[in-house]
Amino acid sequence: MKWYKDHYDVIVIGGALAGLSSALMLAEKGKDVLVLERHNLPGGIATSFVRGGIEIEAALHEMMSIGPEGNRLKVGKFLEDMGVHVDWLKVPEAYHASLPGLEVTLHPGLETFAREVDAEVPGTYDKVLRLLNLCTTVFDSVNELSIHPMSKLKMLLKHEAFVKTAGYSTQEVIDTFDLPQKAQDLLAPYWIYVGTGFQTLPFTIFSVLMADYIGYGSYIPHKFSHEMSLKMAERAEAMGVQIEYRQHVEKILVKDGKVYGVRTARGDEIHADYVISAAYPNKVYTSMIEPITEVPEKAIKMVNGRRLSLTAFSVIMILDKSAEALGIRDYSIFRGDTMDTEELYKDLAGLGPYRYLTCICHNHGNPDATPKGTCSFSITTLPRVDGWKTVSADDYDRVKHEVAKQMIDDMSKYLGVNLLDHILEIVIETPMTIAHYTGMWNGCIYGYAHTMEDHIVARLQTAEEEKFIEGLEFAGAHQISGDGMGPAVTNGRKAAKNVLDDMKKKEAAK
Amino acid sequence: MKIKGFLKDVGGASRVTKARLNAFSSASAIPEKVDPIGDVAREWHPGTLDLEVVKISDASPTAKTVRFQKVGGGKLPPFYAGQFISLAFVLDGKVLCRPYSISSAPFEARQDPGFVEITVRRSKGDGLICDYINNDLKIGDRVKGSMGLGQFYYEPLRDAKNLVALAGGIGVTPFVSMAKEIKHGTMDANLTILYGSAASNDIILKDTLDALECDRVHVVHVLSGDEPDWKGERGFLSAELIRKYTKGDTTYFICGPQVMYKFLREEVKKLDAPARRIRFEMFGQTKDVASFPGYPAEKKDETFTLTVMRGVHKDEIPARANESLVVACERAGIVLLTDCRSGECGFCRTKVLKGEYFVSPEGDGRRAADRDFNYVHACATFPLSDMTIKIPIE
Repeated sequence: MKWYKDHYDVIVIGGALAGLSSALMLAEKGKDVLVLERHNLPGGIATSFVRGGIEIEAALHEMMSIGPEGNRLKVGKFLEDMGVHVDWLKVPEAYHASLPGLEVTLHPGLETFAREVDAEVPGTYDKVLRLLNLCTTVFDSVNELSIHPMSKLKMLLKHEAFVKTAGYSTQEVIDTFDLPQKAQDLLAPYWIYVGTGFQTLPFTIFSVLMADYIGYGSYIPHKFSHEMSLKMAERAEAMGVQIEYRQHVEKILVKDGKVYGVRTARGDEIHADYVISAAYPNKVYTSMIEPITEVPEKAIKMVNGRRLSLTAFSVIMILDKSAEALGIRDYSIFRGDTMDTEELYKDLAGLGPYRYLTCICHNHGNPDATPKGTCSFSITTLPRVDGWKTVSADDYDRVKHEVAKQMIDDMSKYLGVNLLDHILEIVIETPMTIAHYTGMWNGCIYGYAHTMEDHIVARLQTAEEEKFIEGLEFAGAHQISGDGMGPAVTNGRKAAKNVLDDMKKKEAAK
Repeated sequence: MKIKGFLKDVGGASRVTKARLNAFSSASAIPEKVDPIGDVAREWHPGTLDLEVVKISDASPTAKTVRFQKVGGGKLPPFYAGQFISLAFVLDGKVLCRPYSISSAPFEARQDPGFVEITVRRSKGDGLICDYINNDLKIGDRVKGSMGLGQFYYEPLRDAKNLVALAGGIGVTPFVSMAKEIKHGTMDANLTILYGSAASNDIILKDTLDALECDRVHVVHVLSGDEPDWKGERGFLSAELIRKYTKGDTTYFICGPQVMYKFLREEVKKLDAPARRIRFEMFGQTKDVASFPGYPAEKKDETFTLTVMRGVHKDEIPARANESLVVACERAGIVLLTDCRSGECGFCRTKVLKGEYFVSPEGDGRRAADRDFNYVHACATFPLSDMTIKIPIE
């Protein structure tokens, strides 16, 4: 039987946010696109599941780059432009920081945030606002330069702050503001969303993070991240994209340095001019390219020269009382026994006890999230893959439960309520869970670590030289913009743009 | 503005680019094909397993236990006692999936060669596969299976350490698995099985259960039939009886036929146990869809045309109103794999492109956004008109 067309313009491996963004953009330009997704629904980890009749968010804490209706930011605007209309709910606060000597709830809005920090650490308003404004300037430059590249000189004239901070780590730039430690601590909690300590995290990335989240606040879809993923998939299909679920791509077929198709685990060989892969370059270059001799040494050196970033470990609970009754007052709680990000980064290489936890109570952002008289509460840490690589299949369940129990006990102590006495449903998501459902290399959800040796500015500069196989593009957290659901969309758009540009170039050459 | 000095500041972009290229050029050129986290995920969830029947034994006069090993031997995936396996039988060239609670223990799967057992009762007339297993399956036969499925298991972070199992008939099987695992010392809980049977000669796995009695495992047989010589408990699994065998904080696990669920849903309410302490196994396949409120009874005997899209391929098949979309596909020889067959797990998630349908309200596990866009779980969805659906290519 014939399941596929004889030929597609583009095959997209992976129907999560990046792949679907690529598909949407290509379909909008009239290209013939096939998306192959290994799971039976779209979204990757941007999904939900049902336990005991209650729908539960799988991963999304808060989405950046959405912006309010009428003033959408990059991702919010792209989705609307593509005809994907998500019912966004605004997350009420930035975060509640529970750090040594600090119990503060901070809200988005640059001035609001600076004022709230000042209330806790008097005399810091001007400095904090100046730092946030610098972040915003850099953020605006990043957005503009990612669309309109320009000469170095012109860049220095028009994007001075961006150029002059690009070579520095977050800590190096923050140090020039001479802020008291407590104020620095209150600026740090989001670090976990980019996953590198401040001495190695490029200030450029910190800027984007702060300007976007603190400047504009964050959003969640009303019907969990599955609403967003499904609406993207539905829209793509309405635009003519063929999406096939439960199709696991095993091989990317290459001849004379050029891609010509893929082969699935069932054995279907499908042909296309371009392939966009959400599978990690590590996996593609070590086991997916066929024949493997088509992989140049440079590609191997590139993946070996990069450091995998974070994976996730989440304890997701439905509790049998309302958030109010349990004393859970905030949408998100960031809790650490230190805010030294370098210390915390080291800690993430192990198997716990983890010292920095991110908790979400969806009911505070979405009152319909669970039935009346219950609430959802998740405790997440984002470990490095290193520790989890040492866990065997026979040890897995024990380790998973030990880590989960530590996290529950820690938050129980903090809340003054034994959460173990209130669990209606519990799901423990681990790096292995992520690997199982998405196939992501080592369960890594963050791609490659943002460091001074793998800087976003450098990534942009060298992108052209890292195209090792003609017609092969990548879309996912492992690409230029890095981790996060907003950046996933941006990465997907970039892959589609590369394909479209190449098509135009070939068209012109004819 | 100034961070450290003009020249150093403006040289930043070149500096980080050089650093990145240096990192690459000094990296190893040997491909590293290591994904140990993925390897553990694959060991737990290897996908479809090729299994072979290695032993068949009587579990009662009306039930058989079938033991499977992996073709070629080796360990089977880890699972939790209480979970089920989905087996895909090929009958007359048609693939039929059925879920069975695993009656062997997790530790037995992890031996080398590991095995997994199911215990299946002969049907009272409507169980095609139950009868096939009891009458036709033989040693050496091969089936495909996927295991470690479902949410019906002891979760130490959620459940009380004292478990009371309320079992009816063949529903005892997940508790046999739990009892074996507890006795083996690899599950840390205390289990009392209140096991309802119609007659003493109808008790399934009686000898196995007897042998599992220990300080942490107790089995109480409860007969509903009238047997003068019976010395044990009689009647149904009433709240009164359940209370008699409950000691302290207890989680109740319930598995049995659908009529028993209807009875026990009322009985457990009388126990004053919080909702989190009551765990029902899935309801099972909807047998009489027309009995649900809201079902348009006038449609129940109709047959519709079901158009099934797989990729760009299209088939048209008949679909009876009183059978699920999955059954229609199975009858037509179209492979539509299922796991739970109760509407809960979503493995058979299917897009409805056109047509009217009825979803069984028992265990409807659809996501909210899926409902909005006409995604259904095909095993619990019944046609009310001609329909078009899109299913995965298998």
